[in-house]
Amino acid sequence: MAIPTIPDERSADSWKAAMTRFVQVIPHTRGLGLEVLDVTPPTVTMRLPWHRDLLGDETRDLVHGGVLSMMLDTLCGSAVLCGLPVPEVCPTLDLRVDHYRPGLAGHDLLGEARVVRVTESMVFIEGCIWQREGLPIARGIANFVRLGPRNTPAGFAAALFGEKDSLESGREI
Amino acid sequence: MQERISSREWLERTRTSGDVDAILALVPYAQRIGVSAMIEPQGRLYRLAPQQDNIGNVLLPALHGGVVAAFMETAASLELMLVARAVRLPKVIDFSIDYLRTANLVPTLARCTVLREGRRMANVQVCAWQDDATKPIAMARLHLLLAEPPDVDSDAIASHA
Repeated sequence: MAIPTIPDERSADSWKAAMTRFVQVIPHTRGLGLEVLDVTPPTVTMRLPWHRDLLGDETRDLVHGGVLSMMLDTLCGSAVLCGLPVPEVCPTLDLRVDHYRPGLAGHDLLGEARVVRVTESMVFIEGCIWQREGLPIARGIANFVRLGPRNTPAGFAAALFGEKDSLESGREI
Repeated sequence: MQERISSREWLERTRTSGDVDAILALVPYAQRIGVSAMIEPQGRLYRLAPQQDNIGNVLLPALHGGVVAAFMETAASLELMLVARAVRLPKVIDFSIDYLRTANLVPTLARCTVLREGRRMANVQVCAWQDDATKPIAMARLHLLLAEPPDVDSDAIASHA
């Protein structure tokens, strides 16, 4: 399978800063302290720090399955941005999650997502979450629809890369 | 000693009383995103509160798609705990969601349909909508393993081992 070529020549650091801005503008992921560890297009790596609110069954100390869906949705949605020649608005069409083993209390969740294929109208992404290296908890695949430059607000990429303040000011809506 | 969601006795009692709140009290992430349930003439309805913290797109603004997914997954698990033929502990095996419309910052409702309940596995469909039940914002489907819940005794033994 051909790995999509990424014509964008921004540095890894500027991508990491852009993705960090992206997840910190989202109230839900900001609230949970989701952290961007690395962006090497077309792959994004993040960490969700351990918090009791992530539990799905506090009597058995297991991570809520929905936390994994939420994290995969965020990871995949972020990967979309670095898979395109120029960042576009891309709504999630669908998401599928397979639960391989339970997530355990007290451990951070690590995850990565990568662009598998970009077409004129779609971006196909796959992602994975683990707590211990080599032991995946969940795998996800998500498909995103490209709305194209015509339906992407002017200054979207600039805002993402902190070249303008528009995404930040959107926070105050 | 804290009661265990997983014990047969606890599940049996909760199913008899239909006390969803008692289950939700033990599910921190469901509490964080604001999941509740209510009984309607046509069955149980689940509700996701329109909290600022559930926003995933500040520009629209819209709910986080992953939070909507977590809500629908929670609804399916709760529904099975309460309506499965036998006392079972559902474990999500796989989950799939189609996003049909923008989820605005208003209350989201969901209804579950158990399409198949076998001895070990169940298939549940979840439909979520906001203002208009005929215009779903998302549809989800899940396979859940119907695990045999441990008895309190075996739990106690395990925790002392």
